[in-house]
Amino acid sequence: MLIFVAVQVYADEERDSRTIMGPSNIDLFDGAHALLARDAEKGVQLTLRGLKFAQGHREEKAGHANLCAGFLMLGQAETALLHCDWVIERDPNYWRTYNNRALVYLHLQRFDESDADIKKGQALKPRSEKLKDVKGLYLDAVDPVTENITIDDRRKVPQTPVERPDQ
Amino acid sequence: MSRIWVVLPLLIVAPALAADDAPLVARVVDAYTDRIPVQTVVPIYPRKARRDRVEGEVHVCFHINRKGRTRRVGVRTSTNRAFERPSIKAVSASTFRPLAEDEPLREIKSCRTFIFSLEPVLD
Repeated sequence: MLIFVAVQVYADEERDSRTIMGPSNIDLFDGAHALLARDAEKGVQLTLRGLKFAQGHREEKAGHANLCAGFLMLGQAETALLHCDWVIERDPNYWRTYNNRALVYLHLQRFDESDADIKKGQALKPRSEKLKDVKGLYLDAVDPVTENITIDDRRKVPQTPVERPDQ
Repeated sequence: MSRIWVVLPLLIVAPALAADDAPLVARVVDAYTDRIPVQTVVPIYPRKARRDRVEGEVHVCFHINRKGRTRRVGVRTSTNRAFERPSIKAVSASTFRPLAEDEPLREIKSCRTFIFSLEPVLD
């Protein structure tokens, strides 16, 4: 399964007496960029290292979410599932991880669980195009279809008036 | 002073759907028109419509000039806007047999209906 990875950037601003710009955890940051560049091996390696020094729940969550993506890219769906589960256990309202876990379940051919995660994600983020993409993959797996385009050049309206017997 | 904290949680995004590889079935039901089609271009099934399992129908009308090219292409009716652009593009790229110099140009207007449907793949 081909996997594209997208990045969500969060920026918090708070006022204090210092100016610190840029990521607080370089390994997590670089790991995310390596994953974006489809270098799953390097991305996972850096993210694992960054996770050791993660500060706070938010960085941990980001790290595990990225590992879920990274291990899936490496084809290690079972390991990816552990990291997605970690995030969802701690934050059941994180729709992105439902999106990721639905893909992991698809990879594992656990279709019912994939469908359940898509529904949970869509309940949290109803208009997400990414979740619609995963839903499309799910449907392709369980209910594949083929495209059919019919071209009909027949005239809808007769060009000449129809003659009626009583006229 | 500001402190900007940046974290990059990744999101696995679905691949381009298998639509690209899927066989496209196209058939012309009839060609009841004065002009003879030379090249009939089949529209592309919109990716999002296929993904969302949306089907639809578009009725496009257009003029055919002496050279057999289509002009003034416009949608007459459609069930879903997603299908309109590919239908217009398909008609615009389609051609008909040119008329000979001494051949009169009787009827220049024609219409074409595109029916976009999805059929289950049978094992």
